[in-house]
Amino acid sequence: MPKPKVGIFSLTCCEGCQLEILNCEDELLDILGAIDLVSFGMAQSNNLDIDLDIAFVEGTVVQRSEVAILKKIRDRSKLLVAIGACATNGGVAAIDYDKDREELKRIVYGEAGDFIPSITPAALHEHVKVDFALQGCPIEKHQFINAIGYLLHGDLPLLPEYPVCTECKRKENECVLVQHNIPCMGPITSAGCDARCPSHYLGCDGCFGPVDEANVAMEYSIMKEKGMADDEISRMMQVFAAKSPIIKGQFKGD
Amino acid sequence: MKIVKLPKNKTNDFIEHLQSFGEVHAPQKKGKKSCAFQPVTDPSKVLIGEEGFLRTILPLKKYFHKPVDTLLKFSPKTGFEDAYEEEGNKVIFGVHSCDIHAILSLDRVFSGKYVDTYYFRRRKKVAIIGISCVPDDLCYCQSMGTSFVEEGFDLFLSDVGDGYLVKVGTSLGDDMVSSAGDMMTGYGDSDINEYKRRINEFPSLFKTKVDEADLPAILDMEYKSEIWEEMGNRCFNCGICSMVCPTCFCFDVNDEVCLDGETGERKRCWDSCLFKSHAMVAGGHNFRESRADRFKHRFLHKHQAFMGDFGRPSCVGCGRCTQDCPADIHFVGMVKRIKDDITCVHSGEEEK
Amino acid sequence: MIDFARKSLLDNPYLPQQCRIVASTPQTDDTMLFRVRLEDDRLAESFSHMPGQFVQVTVMGSGECPISIASSPTRHGFIDLCIRKAGRVTDAFHNLGQNALFGLRGPYGNGYPVEVMEGNSLLIVAGGIGMAPLRSLLWYALDHRSRFKDVILMYGARDQEDFLFKGELLSLQGRDDVKTLLVVEKDPDNSWEGDVGFVTELFDDVDLDPETTYAAICGPPVMYKNVIDKLLDCGFSKGRILMSLERKMKCGIGKCMHCSVGFKYTCIDGPIFTYWDAINMREII
Repeated sequence: MPKPKVGIFSLTCCEGCQLEILNCEDELLDILGAIDLVSFGMAQSNNLDIDLDIAFVEGTVVQRSEVAILKKIRDRSKLLVAIGACATNGGVAAIDYDKDREELKRIVYGEAGDFIPSITPAALHEHVKVDFALQGCPIEKHQFINAIGYLLHGDLPLLPEYPVCTECKRKENECVLVQHNIPCMGPITSAGCDARCPSHYLGCDGCFGPVDEANVAMEYSIMKEKGMADDEISRMMQVFAAKSPIIKGQFKGD
Repeated sequence: MKIVKLPKNKTNDFIEHLQSFGEVHAPQKKGKKSCAFQPVTDPSKVLIGEEGFLRTILPLKKYFHKPVDTLLKFSPKTGFEDAYEEEGNKVIFGVHSCDIHAILSLDRVFSGKYVDTYYFRRRKKVAIIGISCVPDDLCYCQSMGTSFVEEGFDLFLSDVGDGYLVKVGTSLGDDMVSSAGDMMTGYGDSDINEYKRRINEFPSLFKTKVDEADLPAILDMEYKSEIWEEMGNRCFNCGICSMVCPTCFCFDVNDEVCLDGETGERKRCWDSCLFKSHAMVAGGHNFRESRADRFKHRFLHKHQAFMGDFGRPSCVGCGRCTQDCPADIHFVGMVKRIKDDITCVHSGEEEK
Repeated sequence: MIDFARKSLLDNPYLPQQCRIVASTPQTDDTMLFRVRLEDDRLAESFSHMPGQFVQVTVMGSGECPISIASSPTRHGFIDLCIRKAGRVTDAFHNLGQNALFGLRGPYGNGYPVEVMEGNSLLIVAGGIGMAPLRSLLWYALDHRSRFKDVILMYGARDQEDFLFKGELLSLQGRDDVKTLLVVEKDPDNSWEGDVGFVTELFDDVDLDPETTYAAICGPPVMYKNVIDKLLDCGFSKGRILMSLERKMKCGIGKCMHCSVGFKYTCIDGPIFTYWDAINMREII
């Protein structure tokens, strides 16, 4: 069986997810043995614009030109995989606190903002069909490697469908939220990171995006009990998931 | 039953002595405020409850039913192979009565017509040394009938002030005691008196009490109660209560494939009936669609369904779920509301 | 106390046996009847089951799922599995191809209480894919024909394209020891020679003695309700109505809890339940 042709692409972002793929040092040779990596901007030159079996795309769509780039990738790929918080939920580029785009440009860049050609930042699925997504800021190496294994086998990857709390307790961590009153988005955030932040006494930032059926209202009221102000909570929830329908719209009119 | 006495000043020596029967695990500090069963390297680090109640983050089940466990390895060339790796003997020291009851409950679940080999291969490698405890505000083992234990331990240590009366439950326990030499002494009248005094005083130490009598029938009547919707709105379905529960045993099983795309491992991991995917069948139909449905299912399984299976509720009253719930759900309070409060809980409609 | 040290830990109930697809017959555009045989000849010959039981089928790397056995225990040496593409594992199973190896463990579940049913008449009511587990019971009864009084089959499918075991069931209409009533709900091109309508309408064509008949039903949830209403109207006792239920199952042996309904496990207490069991179990249908 010929090795699947794979491309790794980047839109507007920090390119941390590509870096994370490069960081698979121990497995990199095995990965390259299993797939035919025809395009990987960060790691190689001579990238080919040919038809692909799998395209991994990171980043947020923030310019009109990126819409075209993304559509071209989609057209020549059998599977399109969104990788990272930017590609899946908009990421930090999409934080807008419900402000108008023009107003935001002016707040950030002053009068020069009028000349910034950005469009409303979007997750990939807002422009093209996404076959599945690897979450996280950045993605987790083990999830990327597992995903390749599943795809080679002919299945879509299996990802956890439960919150970070479950992974956190499986590791027998002390609860940062209950025991230490540290604001933590663990109860409403998709697992997959092996509770990376809470394992180091940091509250979960929600970079894996909201879990299906996240009880956002309850999280909100628990955070308030922990002494956070309304706008603080709203900001915390929007950092990585501004474009998620589960989060978006919860705070209109704050 | 053979009973001897272990003076408190010999406790550390005895823990050290136990190392010859297997790797000793006991409650020790974990994180900043908590404790967990962990391997003992220095007996003086073992927490035995002198400084207050000890509730380990995870109960004993982690030793037999691992949070994540590789069941099988597979490859198209060799087929399926059992991936169990033989483990050495362990001695778990400092187990409370409620947690011993929980293990007896899991023993029943994992035996029966089909024996879960992964659970029992580990289970038979582990010796359990129980210890008496003083309840804190969240404990309600007294109400669940699990505050005393008559089986399920190799040794059980009951505090009598200057030492422990050691009940010997098994032949292995006898070996541990017999080989301990002069660490163990006989016990006298004053020890018996102190033991009895503590036993008699024990029930009065509980601040949390709940009466489970007839709860299964009442839960049936309250099946359509508004309380489930209310709790469904509160619950995160985060799974913490299931993970920390000493008698929750749900698991999910999935195959993981290696980078060659064909070999791999079949793993099981702790699951929770609170998760949306738990009762979802192929094709997408979900038999427990809402958070409220799933919350109710878990509660009913603990306090009603398990009765039908094994004649007692599966809850042992350890208090972990209430302590660790990020949504501040008080599970004993729930039982009380459903059982006692005739004004605030009522059925949504008349039953046929 | 449970003497766990004495429990046999030699047999790992989670370890599948290698099994081979020996034949496959398309049934509908997403459903295939696979004839399979355990690789180990000794196991293949000694494999025995009850009608209504199921096996756990593994496609290596894709996972495991429960599939009811569609062949009768009276036919030895092979197992028939009628599999609809409905998810990860069943999709992968369809892609395996002729002669491929896969994993199988079981049989599991209670199966139909045939020893109790024997001596009575048997009414089989199936809808759609629900014919698969009932085919096992049907052929069990036909192969032990003298043990049953009347045998009646009612089977309804959405249309001809959705009709399972078509040739086999149509040929039963030529037999006089089984009353075979087959319907389709829709027949747009008028190519169906039999009745058009719902399976519940077939009750007008039969004379049932509820005192000496067991009814075995399997089909979509809406069918259960309508058929059970009919049976109750006929005077059937709830304990004589047998249903085959579907749940998510991961282990098949009563451990993982996914299939639990109340204090019953569909995998070991079921999947065959009487209607009386069912109305005493919340959220069952």
